[in-house]
Amino acid sequence: MTTFKLPDLGEGLAEAEIIAWHVTVGETVSVDQPMVSVETAKAVVDLPVPFSGVVERLHAAPGDIVPTGAPLIEVAAVMAESSGPARTAASTVVGKVPSSEEELIETFSYSRPAAAAQARGRAVPVARALAKRLGLELGAVDGSGPGGLITLDDVLARANVGATPPAIAKMAARAQIAPQPLRGARRAMAQTMTLARDQIALSTVCDDADIEVWGTSGGQGGGYTLRLMRAMARACVIEPALNAWYDAKENARLLLEHVDLGVAVDTPGGLLVPVLRNIQAKSPEELRAALVAQKAAAHERALTGEDLRDFTLMLSNFGTLAGRYGIPQVVPPAVAILGAGKVRREAVVVGERVAAHLCMPLSLSFDHRCVTGGEACRFLAAVIADLELAE
Amino acid sequence: MVEAIAMAHAWEMQADPCVVVIGQDVGANGGVFRATAGLQQRFGSDRVQDTPLAEAMIAGMSVGMAAQGLRPVAEIQFMGFIYPALDQIINHMSRMRYRTRGRLSCPVVIRTPHGGGIHAPEHHSESTESLLCHIPGIRVVSPSSPARAYGLLLAAIRDPDPVVFLEPARLYRAVRQEVADDGRALPLDVCFTLREGGDVTIVTWGAMTADVLRAVLELDKDGVSAEVLDLATLSPIDSGTILASVAKTGRLVIVHEAARNVGVGAEIAALVAEHGLYDLQAPIQRVAGYDTIMPLFKLEQEYIPSVRRIVDAVQATLAA
Repeated sequence: MTTFKLPDLGEGLAEAEIIAWHVTVGETVSVDQPMVSVETAKAVVDLPVPFSGVVERLHAAPGDIVPTGAPLIEVAAVMAESSGPARTAASTVVGKVPSSEEELIETFSYSRPAAAAQARGRAVPVARALAKRLGLELGAVDGSGPGGLITLDDVLARANVGATPPAIAKMAARAQIAPQPLRGARRAMAQTMTLARDQIALSTVCDDADIEVWGTSGGQGGGYTLRLMRAMARACVIEPALNAWYDAKENARLLLEHVDLGVAVDTPGGLLVPVLRNIQAKSPEELRAALVAQKAAAHERALTGEDLRDFTLMLSNFGTLAGRYGIPQVVPPAVAILGAGKVRREAVVVGERVAAHLCMPLSLSFDHRCVTGGEACRFLAAVIADLELAE
Repeated sequence: MVEAIAMAHAWEMQADPCVVVIGQDVGANGGVFRATAGLQQRFGSDRVQDTPLAEAMIAGMSVGMAAQGLRPVAEIQFMGFIYPALDQIINHMSRMRYRTRGRLSCPVVIRTPHGGGIHAPEHHSESTESLLCHIPGIRVVSPSSPARAYGLLLAAIRDPDPVVFLEPARLYRAVRQEVADDGRALPLDVCFTLREGGDVTIVTWGAMTADVLRAVLELDKDGVSAEVLDLATLSPIDSGTILASVAKTGRLVIVHEAARNVGVGAEIAALVAEHGLYDLQAPIQRVAGYDTIMPLFKLEQEYIPSVRRIVDAVQATLAA
């Protein structure tokens, strides 16, 4: 039989109060099984059974104050001390150390990786945040920084080539409207105008041509357009700078002898600009035939790529619909476009009197990178002078 | 774990006659947690000395013994009692090599229980490791399993410079693990990869390692694959392993029991911000104790980061 005395609970305390016994007299107990809860001045401590055996006697009852070193329990061994190393009891612990018989099975390694793992989607944080806001997959962005690092510019570049911005998609979903993808002429217009906006230094000058001498029948049968074409062809002789192509990359301009005039045609499928070739060399009849044929082809969607390319100058006779002046958009590499507004009767001063005359408003846009204001105004003056001729 | 610690002591005392053990109750009593049980009986009271309750003296005595060629292993009974020893640790132990231009080093190990979770009264549940990590010349090491306690304590005793060895008190008897008593040390200054994963890196140490591994099981159920690094040496930090792991996973969660403010987690976060920022796919998350005094035991489970908080932090980095 072995007597176990109340140990010093690690803090040099003189005594402890028994709170509860977890074993009873006659019970067979084994090492480390909970035996008794005692309270010191500092904490409640659970003491485990120190020896295996049968409990013979408890020296104190709950509520008793037991001095350190006084007998606490007596346990009779039922067999020889178990073989193997003696287990150390946690009896002097302050507090309660959690214990279990759970077996820890673990593997661990500490070899440093020979090479850094393949980095994926390395991005500057602000680029990552922007990509997230735009709904862009970083994996789809090419990194231009060191080691493929994705920069803010990379995300912006990627975002600009993206399709419909997500905000619009959400709006469409809320409104339950199916988006219509831009196709054909409409799509070409979007691209051409974006390019033109980004490249051209656009300037526009406006004036009127007094065409009272034409009489009221002058505009019939495409008459306005034919007169405008003739006036432009003649103005190109007087001021060749506007019948040109501008090569911004080489910083060069190509002054052209022939006038290939692009004529804007409004169709349900979008804006089409068929080209009438060599208008400077054509008779009015030939011009009329070419114009009628190209307009018809535009409406029938019968224009070929050949019909649309390499214009040297452009005309938009928008006044057949409405509008007085406008700011027509030059399409590179051409450097000028003339817009003609709605012909109307206007009060004009003739000598000392005011008279009602038929007038055609004109808006000439030019690429100021390549064309001077003087050249543009000389061209416009030449157009007006020709338009104001009776025949 | 506590038996593995006693085993490492015994092995090294047997192998190296210069190793001595000092501290309150380390001799006849075998240590407050039984970490030095049986050593005095085996190696005698010259080599295993009980000291008065005087931490400054224990540390100072260690400095003197080390300067005279011994390798003292000193126990401070609880981390909350280490503060009187800081003067000796900071002003003498950490700089003996520097002060003597390399003529003397200071091969001391100061062992102390670390952290809460053992229902102990005030001052007995501290995790103030960042105080020590801030001191140049001191290594701070914390094991998280019996095997690492054995291997790292051997390494700490053999190291020619001072090591503070923080033993997670609530893991002392938490699990059993077969540890071969073969005298093989583990390396200092490296992280241990406890689990490989691809979605997030979790860096932790000491007792929190067990909670992190429980959280990882929860995350497994959600299909989240976490890589778990046991920091092990808290100072100096093994930056290579951490940065390589973050480069792989792109996300970092740091878990420690110590208060958040200026904790070791902040140093790790700064390290990754400085050298691994472009690898991060989400802001770094820290899961830590609160910036309060460690509460008494009724509230200590509220203070210690829970499995829930760890899982939530990981989910937050994945949602970012």
